[in-house]
Amino acid sequence: MWGKGILNGMRITMRNMLRGPITVRYPYERVTLPERARWAVEVVRDESGAHKCTACMTCVRACPDHILDLQFTTAEDKSKHIDYLRYEMGACMMCGLCVEACPFDALKMGQDYELAKLTRDELTVDLLVDVAAAAPARAKKASEVPAGGTDDSRGGGTDG
Amino acid sequence: MSPELASLLRILAAVGLMLMNGVILIYMLRRVLGRLHQRLGPVHVGPQGLLQTPMDVLKLLTKEDITPTNVDKALYFIAPAAVFTPSLMAYAAIPFSPTWMVTDLDTGLLYTLVVMSLVSMGLLMAGWASANKWSLIGGMRSVGQHIAYEIPLLLSVLPVVMYVGTLNLSSIVEAQSGTWLGILPQWFITNPLFWPAFIIFIVSALIKVNQTPFDMSEAESELVAGFATEYSSMKFGLFFLSEFSNSFIVSALAVTLFFGGWTLPFVPDEVLAPIAPVVFMLKVYVGIFVLMWIRGTLPRVRMDHLMQFAWKILIPAVLTWILVFGFIIKLFDLGRPVG
Ligand code: SF4
Ligand code: SF4
Repeated sequence: MWGKGILNGMRITMRNMLRGPITVRYPYERVTLPERARWAVEVVRDESGAHKCTACMTCVRACPDHILDLQFTTAEDKSKHIDYLRYEMGACMMCGLCVEACPFDALKMGQDYELAKLTRDELTVDLLVDVAAAAPARAKKASEVPAGGTDDSRGGGTDG
Repeated sequence: MSPELASLLRILAAVGLMLMNGVILIYMLRRVLGRLHQRLGPVHVGPQGLLQTPMDVLKLLTKEDITPTNVDKALYFIAPAAVFTPSLMAYAAIPFSPTWMVTDLDTGLLYTLVVMSLVSMGLLMAGWASANKWSLIGGMRSVGQHIAYEIPLLLSVLPVVMYVGTLNLSSIVEAQSGTWLGILPQWFITNPLFWPAFIIFIVSALIKVNQTPFDMSEAESELVAGFATEYSSMKFGLFFLSEFSNSFIVSALAVTLFFGGWTLPFVPDEVLAPIAPVVFMLKVYVGIFVLMWIRGTLPRVRMDHLMQFAWKILIPAVLTWILVFGFIIKLFDLGRPVG
């Protein structure tokens, strides 16, 4: 009342003015993103470059936008081969539900924030193409370590 | 030099000042608003973004001048001039120094305020001629708020006039030279008797500037660009220029009436004489900075609140204050009539 709020507002803007600009002049300057910054979905790769996806389809079902597309073929020995794991970046809302859902920690939210593309086609990203699916349980069985709760059978997706 | 030539040169000087001011103020506005919001403002064109405004002016000049089909042609063309001319005329009576002024009018204060009030007519013209609802609403709002705030504005300067007994702006400035007991400058702002008048003056003068918090007639979030919606190119430029020139005039009036015009305390007249215009301009720019500061801080008020505030609070307040002020200066014989 009686202009107190106005004076307070004026004080705040003056304080801001004296603090100086906080602008990051983006193309010339870049900030280091905070560790937990989340942008587009990426595939986790270990040091040797191997992915961890077992083609279990969980992420595909978890995505509320239905923009993950996984096609795989199952061989006779029940090992799977991923034809592609396709990701429609332009429709992704970066909610991270696929990452949460993945039981094998095969996905992560990346930190690349320069996602603008020149053509529409570039927005369709193939995360994985024509690779064998990871099979941690088999690998563990092979090295005779007791299976720690993970089970191959949960990845019973529709055949491509 | 023949008197006609001299007056012509003076008018040209005023035009030059107005154009220069426009360019400088736009740059200043961008920088100041930027800083108030912790941004940088223009930085790319030229050092420190200095060339941004000249480039914008060039862009404005070379843009296509579009005349919409259904506008009232004559009014549509006259309106920018009807807004620009009063803004230019208002420079006439402003004293930049004891000798620097376009003309030394005995009714300078009244003249400036009257001329300023003509601006709103041009704005209504523009709003009406545009044949566009937004423009019309903008024009109507502008006239409404100008009429409402004209009264407190004119009345708020009365205490000063009562005190010095003249409407001549240079005499008003002269009455403020010297100091109170050698400590405070004898500007009216240092005298608590003038504080209520000053506050009312500032509030109603903000209307003249047509900026937030009182930019109802433009209100880009409601009215596209208000009266200026249909204007492009230099016609729009004239509205723009007049707006910035109005903030200069308002600040100059405030400086003249309350902050001692070109005078400085403790500085002998011989030293002051050559730098008087500089002192005046500096004070005016500080005033403009405060206007921008207000603009960068406050949100837009609502139209009905605005009108209620004028008619229900401001006008009764200023009338009461004039009465009280009159009694005080009569009772204690405080008036210091000049000349
Ligand atoms: S982040 Fe959300 S929207 Fe994007 S792919 Fe994953 S689940 Fe779908
Ligand atoms: S392992 Fe993860 S990434 Fe691969 S299909 Fe299953 S949920 Fe998706």
